[in-house]
Amino acid sequence: MQAAVLEISALVLGIFLLLCEAFAGALDKRRLAYGGIFGLGLILLASFFVTAGPLQPDAVGFWSFYAADPLALFFKRFALATTMLVLIMMLESAPRIQSGLGEFFALPIFTCAGLMWMASAIDFVMIFVSLELVTMSFYVLVAYTRRNPVTLEAGVKYLILSALSTGFLVYGITWVFGVTGETSLARVAAAFSQPNLERAPALFGAVLILVGLGFKIAAVPFQIWVADVYQGAPTAVTAYLSVGSKAAGFVVLLRVLSAFFILPQVQRLLVAVAIATLIYGNLAALPQTNLKRLLGYSSIAHAGYLLVGVVSFSGAAVGFYLVSYLLMTLLSFTVLIVVANSAGGEEISDFDGLSKRSPFLALAMMISMLSLAGVPFTAGFFGKFMVFDAAIQQHQTALVVVAVVTVACGFYYYLKVIRAMYWESPARAAPIAFSQLSRVTMTGLMIAIITLGVYPQPILRALSDASHPVTAQR
Amino acid sequence: MSSALPWSILLLPLASAVVILLFTLRSGRVSSFTSVLAALAAFLCSWALFTSENTRAIELTWIDLRPLLYVPLGFVIDGLSKTMLLVVTGVGALIHVYSLGYMRNDAGKSRYFASLSLFMFSMVGIVLSNNFVMMFIFWELVGVSSYLLIGHWFERDAAAEAAKKAFLTNRIGDFGFMIGILMIWSATGSVVFREIAMQMPQIIAHPGFLTIAALLVFCGAAGKSAQFPLHVWLPDAMEGPTPISALIHAATMVAAGVYMLVRVGFLVQSSPAALGVIVWIGTITAVMAALIATQQSDIKRILAYSTLSQLGYMVMAVGLASGEAAMFHLFTHAFFKALLFLGAGAIIIMLHHEQNIWNMGGLAGKLRVTFLTFLVGTLALIGCPPFSGFWSKDAILALAYTRSMPIFVLGLFTAFLTAFYMTRLLVVVFLGKPRTDAARSGREAPIVMTVPLLLLAIPAFLAGFSFVATRFLPLPQEKEAVALVPVLATLAMIAGVTLGVVLYRNREREPLNIALLRKRFFFDEFYTWLIGVTQGTLARLSDFFDHWIIDAGAVRGLSSATWGIGALLRLFQVGNLQAYSFLFGLGIVGLIYFTIFR
Repeated sequence: MQAAVLEISALVLGIFLLLCEAFAGALDKRRLAYGGIFGLGLILLASFFVTAGPLQPDAVGFWSFYAADPLALFFKRFALATTMLVLIMMLESAPRIQSGLGEFFALPIFTCAGLMWMASAIDFVMIFVSLELVTMSFYVLVAYTRRNPVTLEAGVKYLILSALSTGFLVYGITWVFGVTGETSLARVAAAFSQPNLERAPALFGAVLILVGLGFKIAAVPFQIWVADVYQGAPTAVTAYLSVGSKAAGFVVLLRVLSAFFILPQVQRLLVAVAIATLIYGNLAALPQTNLKRLLGYSSIAHAGYLLVGVVSFSGAAVGFYLVSYLLMTLLSFTVLIVVANSAGGEEISDFDGLSKRSPFLALAMMISMLSLAGVPFTAGFFGKFMVFDAAIQQHQTALVVVAVVTVACGFYYYLKVIRAMYWESPARAAPIAFSQLSRVTMTGLMIAIITLGVYPQPILRALSDASHPVTAQR
Repeated sequence: MSSALPWSILLLPLASAVVILLFTLRSGRVSSFTSVLAALAAFLCSWALFTSENTRAIELTWIDLRPLLYVPLGFVIDGLSKTMLLVVTGVGALIHVYSLGYMRNDAGKSRYFASLSLFMFSMVGIVLSNNFVMMFIFWELVGVSSYLLIGHWFERDAAAEAAKKAFLTNRIGDFGFMIGILMIWSATGSVVFREIAMQMPQIIAHPGFLTIAALLVFCGAAGKSAQFPLHVWLPDAMEGPTPISALIHAATMVAAGVYMLVRVGFLVQSSPAALGVIVWIGTITAVMAALIATQQSDIKRILAYSTLSQLGYMVMAVGLASGEAAMFHLFTHAFFKALLFLGAGAIIIMLHHEQNIWNMGGLAGKLRVTFLTFLVGTLALIGCPPFSGFWSKDAILALAYTRSMPIFVLGLFTAFLTAFYMTRLLVVVFLGKPRTDAARSGREAPIVMTVPLLLLAIPAFLAGFSFVATRFLPLPQEKEAVALVPVLATLAMIAGVTLGVVLYRNREREPLNIALLRKRFFFDEFYTWLIGVTQGTLARLSDFFDHWIIDAGAVRGLSSATWGIGALLRLFQVGNLQAYSFLFGLGIVGLIYFTIFR
């Protein structure tokens, strides 16, 4: 079975759900979400049976813009798992959606297809098209509860700024094409290593492409939209944005940089961007009182740690970090949705005394916060450990120093949430209700975080296969 | 099949602890039988492993970040660990059985047996670990479970305090242990014993580094094995139930330190300077503890100090670069000391928790089995030929005789003291007239308690003979063994016994009164003072820091700085789309400038 079957089946699944929504009449819309989760689960299962495509750099035709290497497969599974979890979160937040519930559940599946294509894209044209598929569906999702003015504002901001960044991305691609005459990453890399290369225009194109990707991963100085959009969008979409969109951005970044790292200025640029992102994300998170906004800034900070891994060429470190980030971010957002459903707000003070109202939710939130902060025996610790180790091996001392100091800073605002849950007294005593599916999901995520924190071997093994092609291409 | 044996030995006690904690906390009866069954099964598996030729076990990878760090979940299975397993699970199983009687009417029976199983799990883990990381984790688990067991009667302040003291004192040693492990890892890039041993030539090139690393590792052993100056926790730990004193504080936990030193013997023995320190720490502990033991009046405390003193002998043997001699004494000591403690436990429980030896007397006729087995244990401990203790102590003394005269003389003096205080104990407790009503009404202990005593008395007598001992462990081979040493040792023993009998026969009160010894050299007072002084200084320092640097500098500075940054950030986060796009464009210009024009 070919790898592209996975994306195609995801698309078919999405279209099928839309048709059901349109023609099936009085159908409980939740069934669509269950169907979507089930279908994506099947695709996830199928992904273990696909054959890898040819890997030679001079491949022609389809295989010159589509790679089916282990890295791509790993991130396809990543996208599928994320989307399934996001659908579960959407089910939990469904009561707050005023209309169009069916499309709300179908759109993420198209996003998922885009993310999967992005994981395989090794040609600028392909990268651009799949990126747009993802972004388009996000435009709709972010502004989904459009009667809420905050959401509408977030949607417009995301639309305009994203369009702006897309413009720069295309412009950069044309410059690179103009300099090298190629769009395939492998051939661009070959052209960049020619001694008679025109440095300045090549760099110009590279920087503009990095601007486009920097927007996707929310790196400084293109982070400015994050707080407003994260706060305004429906929480499940925020989670999707901060995990799925970001992960795809990092895969593309890893691929693109394998071509760009031939230019030494690019690495210098990325080190500066990483330092700025780490400092900005962590400092700006300090005074936040709104948990969603706090998680928004924390996602900027995590982009900084991921960039440290990217700068150190470590695909394995980035991959592991993304997996741990997926687990802990989705766990915290799930708890946030449940608590916000009952409290009506997303302030940290809404979590006061959560341990008395629902020990389970408080435990889940505590585990995800500890993992985000990077406490040992959680997945987050190993993610940071591997990223720092990679950076030390590349002698990026300044970067590591900044990163370690900002980790300490992160403890402050993550533990603030734990303090609210366990030491403050609750405003209301009513227990919090949530679905069995959410409970099972949260339990699974908690177990995964702890398991990977104690026994990281499964992901490490999966990644040790996946990280080779990156280095081989370079 | 047999490669799964080590795993079952390790996991059986864990399974029992988990089952008890999750399911049977309500029923002390079920819990106790679960725990005892697990211990017996673990012992049978250990026996099977001991008799099999097998030296391999399934090894799992725990953390694989080669070349940085590789931590397997693997076992080392050789003669050393097989014998140690037999001792740990064998003595452990007997003590489980004995606990059925001792803890019969205890309210926290389930909790007790769960902790006991957890302890067995951790202890077996230490014995089997083939790398430092695993060993350290089990090391800490032993610390935790011993904390739980010492503090079993936590409603008594003394027990809670003792548990805390044991834990904290151990932490001091463990901290050194951890730094030592990190040093060795940074030097060799490995935590697996086998690989470190292969890399030793590299470290030996840096003797200073090696000495510090070896001494830090010894720090951990000093904490667990209660060596001077970290010995203060062990006597206090006698607040726990007596079977725990026998299990943890005689046969297994305190032996873990010695076992670890033997396990990493390749490391310790390559540094003569470290060996020098270790041998003197051991000797000081042996003499000091024996001196203190002569003036105690609590039966368990006397035994506790005697344990300290015997551990001093074992560490002395390690310091004399003979792991065999240390293990030999550990082997025999485990049996006779467990026997003595269980005997003491039988007395205590039959006298309704009376522990003062001056409130006993004349028990020989009433607790006949207990008396006879206690006598066997005593004879073994004081090194009366041909009991087991004689052979192993003789091995260490012979070693000292050939290496260092001062050590030998002090060792001999300790042997004399040992004989003296044990005779005192025996005479005061069992002979003469009963001095209190409790002693007059004493009866023999129930059968679940006497059977373990009898079973332990056999190895306490036999384990020293070379035809028995060589089946279990390699004996130290001293080439120029001198006949003088056993003769001198026996003379010292006879002198001690004679003095004890003369001084203490038919006494109603303590005839000697040496405050320095009775007060245990004022160690506790000194530590309390030291902690008070350091804490006071630290508190004053941090008060100063808090008042002047945090309050005055940081808080006011930070609040104004935060306000400033907030104002600055507010300039950016205007929420205005045009401004956002403008900043976006500005960022791009900045990046292009930074990349291309610089």
